[in-house]
Amino acid sequence: MPGKTEPINGSVKLGSKESSTAAMPASLKKPDLSSYFSLKSLKLKTKQQELLIRVSILCLVYVLAFITRLFSVLRYESMIHEFDPYFNYRTTLYLTRNGFYDFWNWFDSESWYPLGRIIGGTLYPGLMVTAAFIYWILRFLHFAVHIREVCVLTAPFFASNTTLVAYFFGKELWDSGAGLVAAALIAICPGYISRSVAGSYDNEGVAIFALLLTFYMFVKAVNTGSLAWSLASAFGYFYMVSAWGGYVFIINLIPLYVLVLLITGRYSMRLYVAYNCMYILGMLLAMQIRFVGFQHVQSGEHMAAMGVFFLMQVFYFLDWVKHLLSDTKLFEAFLRITVTTAVGVGAIALGVGTASGYISPWTGRFYSLLDPTYAKDNIPIIASVSEHQPTAWSSFMFDFHILLFLFPAGLYFCFKRLSDATIFIVLYGLTSMYFAGVMVRLILVATPAVCLISAIAVSATVKNLTLVARAKNKVAQTGSAKGSSSSKGSSKASLDQSQPFQRNVAIALLLGAFYLLSKYATHCTWVTSEAYSSPSIVLAARGAHGNRVIFDDYREAYFWLRQNTPQDAKVMSWWDYGYQITAMGNRTVIVDNNTWNNTHIATVGRAMSSYEDEAYEIMRSLDVDYVLVVFGGVTGYSSDDINKFLWMVRIGGGVFPVIKEPDYLVNGDYRVDKGAAPKMLNCLMYKLSYYRFGELTTEYGKPPGYDRARGVEIGNKDIKLEHLEEAFTTSNWIVRIYKVKPPDNRW
Amino acid sequence: MKAPSFLSVLVLLLVGVAHALSSSGSRLLVVTDDPTQKGKYSKFWADLEGRGFSITFESPKSDPALTQHGELNYDHLLILPTKLKALGPALTPQLILDFMKKEGNVLLALSSGTTTPTTLTSLLLELDIHLPLERDGLVVDHFNFDAQSAADKHDVLLLPRPGPLRQGAKNYFGGDGLLAVPRAIGQTLGNASPLLAPILPAPPTAYSYNPSEESEALEDPFATGKQLSLATAFQSRNSARFSVLGSAEMLEDAWFGATVKLGDAGKTKTANQEFAKALTGWTFKELGVLKVGHLQHFLRKGSDSLSANGTEVADSELNPKIYRIKNEATYTIELSEYSVDHWIPFVPATSDSVQLEFSMLSPYHRLSLAPVRSTSNSTIYATSFILPDQHGIFNFRVNYKRPFLNNVDEKNTVTVRHFAHDEWPRSFAISGAWVWIVGIWATVVGWLGFCGLWLWSAPRDEKRIVKKRN
Repeated sequence: MPGKTEPINGSVKLGSKESSTAAMPASLKKPDLSSYFSLKSLKLKTKQQELLIRVSILCLVYVLAFITRLFSVLRYESMIHEFDPYFNYRTTLYLTRNGFYDFWNWFDSESWYPLGRIIGGTLYPGLMVTAAFIYWILRFLHFAVHIREVCVLTAPFFASNTTLVAYFFGKELWDSGAGLVAAALIAICPGYISRSVAGSYDNEGVAIFALLLTFYMFVKAVNTGSLAWSLASAFGYFYMVSAWGGYVFIINLIPLYVLVLLITGRYSMRLYVAYNCMYILGMLLAMQIRFVGFQHVQSGEHMAAMGVFFLMQVFYFLDWVKHLLSDTKLFEAFLRITVTTAVGVGAIALGVGTASGYISPWTGRFYSLLDPTYAKDNIPIIASVSEHQPTAWSSFMFDFHILLFLFPAGLYFCFKRLSDATIFIVLYGLTSMYFAGVMVRLILVATPAVCLISAIAVSATVKNLTLVARAKNKVAQTGSAKGSSSSKGSSKASLDQSQPFQRNVAIALLLGAFYLLSKYATHCTWVTSEAYSSPSIVLAARGAHGNRVIFDDYREAYFWLRQNTPQDAKVMSWWDYGYQITAMGNRTVIVDNNTWNNTHIATVGRAMSSYEDEAYEIMRSLDVDYVLVVFGGVTGYSSDDINKFLWMVRIGGGVFPVIKEPDYLVNGDYRVDKGAAPKMLNCLMYKLSYYRFGELTTEYGKPPGYDRARGVEIGNKDIKLEHLEEAFTTSNWIVRIYKVKPPDNRW
Repeated sequence: MKAPSFLSVLVLLLVGVAHALSSSGSRLLVVTDDPTQKGKYSKFWADLEGRGFSITFESPKSDPALTQHGELNYDHLLILPTKLKALGPALTPQLILDFMKKEGNVLLALSSGTTTPTTLTSLLLELDIHLPLERDGLVVDHFNFDAQSAADKHDVLLLPRPGPLRQGAKNYFGGDGLLAVPRAIGQTLGNASPLLAPILPAPPTAYSYNPSEESEALEDPFATGKQLSLATAFQSRNSARFSVLGSAEMLEDAWFGATVKLGDAGKTKTANQEFAKALTGWTFKELGVLKVGHLQHFLRKGSDSLSANGTEVADSELNPKIYRIKNEATYTIELSEYSVDHWIPFVPATSDSVQLEFSMLSPYHRLSLAPVRSTSNSTIYATSFILPDQHGIFNFRVNYKRPFLNNVDEKNTVTVRHFAHDEWPRSFAISGAWVWIVGIWATVVGWLGFCGLWLWSAPRDEKRIVKKRN
């Protein structure tokens, strides 16, 4: 297919009118309505028609991107999802209530007891400030909305904005047709939807917008050499830094891109202006974010950007010297000396900086990105997070669907028409695809690149096919016109001969493309509604009669905590539930999802994996009043604490060697039934999960104490608690809360 | 802040005038199975009633209920030796422990003459107090015995009243005179429990043996010397008190002020009555009871004194929830001690002091509190210190646990926050930063100057070209 369209592709440059209308149906599948409307009722010039169509398509895509993310609101309610968003919600609430300065200086004593957490200095405030800003604007306009609604809808709103950026980016990379396709693709791409459904109030929601915006403006700056665009991209970068830790990707990808341009001999004054302005201003702006601070000049992750910055200056200097020196031999000698000294000085500076500790070495997270096996061996706390696992092929297919094979096709087109901009998107696509393979969550970062590159493939293909299909008369003209040129004439002639046949093939291929794209649309909608729209705090299951059963145990438990425990009660749980307990239960937690202190988490892991009396000592030293565990044995909910328990053992054992993983395993197997390891059967986590579970019949025809999540009968049914007592168990046993008893009166 | 304390003082004074009272109540249950015994202790009862206790006598057979509907029927419990093998369903070890959980006090008098009921031995085991296995061991001492009444058997020990348990511990049982301890059961104390303290340790030459064994030579004494305790105090975490007296006979009228003869020395009167008063006084919370009054911490401003009378610090500034690192804070605590019938200012024993810990996971400061003021019934201890350079959730903690004194464990949780963005010294206030400030401004001015110069100086060459063309 590409082979046939190739010559025509060469002749078509920037956006012809027909091509965009042809690309439009693929993206929206509403060709009849819009074209009928624009053509019949209004007598417009083709250019205006095209503009009208383009704008209306963009508007529809904008709306589509928003409403496709509302499944969760319609199906459940307007609520915050998952874990991290609860922290974001809580901080936003604080921001809107207490104002910016209080938020900036907030010392949170409700988390990480007794260490506390400096909120202002340890978070990316972009998301909260954005939501609060929207909230204040709406309030100013007398829309009496609750801040929760704003938070719930922030991600869809920014997803809509991302489609606009994708359009402009696609236009900058290829043509407006590709831009429209890119906007439509990214609007419904599951890889992006997974992090931006309504309620998923997380940093990534706005960060992807900021990321794409920064890239777009940088490419624009490189293309135009304009200081203004470069400045704009520096501000885009600032917003990105304020919103998400993934900004490190930008600050490494852009230097890489610049380096590639330098190596391929595409150095130009435009590049020099764009990069220098963006780097210096972006760096200075990023330093204003307290969480980032001086990392730009002190951390190993940011050194590449600085190195490239200096390399740029060397290049500029060389260029100038070359301009002055007419003797090429002399210049070559000069070049050799300068490059060697520059590289040498750079290497020495880096070495001295690292050795003296001024430049901090790469962090574990960064290493684990470059080497997928690193975290598994060295940092269990990173490896334990499910979204940090290496990506399976199926999830690529799930998140990208047809884009997965349109991506290479798009790369082909990009290589075909290599420019500064396409080199950028190729680099972005390739690096982000690699990272997406390393970590599941980074599929998100790859999604815009994949959508853009695929859009180029779709747009170029469809455009060429429609040209072939429509240009009945034109081909003859162009064929004769080009026939005069020597080499292409023969191929054109053969084209002309097979024209009727080719036209049919083109139409068939077009239909095929539409079929694929419509499949993509159905797949995306299905994935959105089935997989990515569950709040994960409310669980849904099918009952015996096909009816929907809702398990609202989490909120039940958190509200119990809020209502029934003292205001200053400290709750110990595994870190996954920390944010939710503080946000919904309003109680102090020992550890939470901001996993900044490994030792503290390891202490909790150690308590959970110790015998009750040892754990009691630890809990006493941490002033723990309540212990919360999540247990899925009754409902068959598999992501409960027993299934996460080995990570607690590993993380605990990483700091406290008394905890040894083999003690909890039998011949390398993790079991909870009669054959389980004795330490497993008597550790705190087991006791708290299965306390009085042995008396319960969970499934017809199974013995009492049958664990439905693991499908076994538990090994220790006679559990006695000495230092803790059961305080609350939710209706489906998913959350169990225990009270830590005060020490015995006589000991 | 002042009115309530004044009121309470008034109430206390009124109560004190009416009749002396223990700090925790006056209802005393005496469990004895032998009505005749009542008469043997008449002086003892008179003593107690004189101090305001209302005494109820019950036999274990009548199943006296210690609690009713979760409330205590009696504040104190005294169990005299009985001949019964067990004390019945109303006085099981568990019920007595529950009685203590509700802050009831127990005095247990044992006697070598009567076999201790199993109920009581298992109760004592729960508290890590051990009796001889046969439950009727006898303590003898061949050096300190009463030459008059036990010239043969040497089982009436004569010892001076006990000194302080250790240096820095208050002594409520000391004084002049000799104690006669006839036919005592010695107890040994477990090492594990910090709540146990011997009131009356046996002299080094004493030992405990089983009198029912007829052999001449003693093969295997239960315990000897200082291992033995003739009277033991146990104070539970909630400060309920439990004491064991090895010899109930000590309390009998016969030994109150009896004349005894130790070795070659002359005859002296026993101090048993005084000792009994101290023992019941301590057990029934007339002695060694500590009370925490006002507890305040506040931000110290300037160099005001450590007083905590609230005149210099407004109420709203008292006990703030949050401090900042490197703040100077003042902590004051008001301590009173109950002395028989009224509250007096608490003064720790010499070489002991009340200490304040400022801790997060582990103490960052451990400071001795100095007495700054004293009222008629309390002492105010205070200290000022600079908070550590570490943010977090800290506790002001006074953890004052001494033998024979109520447990004082006061914890006040405060947050210590970091510097807010506008609390740092300004850059120009730091002399070390001047170099950098000058550098910044030199760069700014230089840049502006350069720009001006650049804009001012138009390129020469073009002019020439233009001129040439002209």
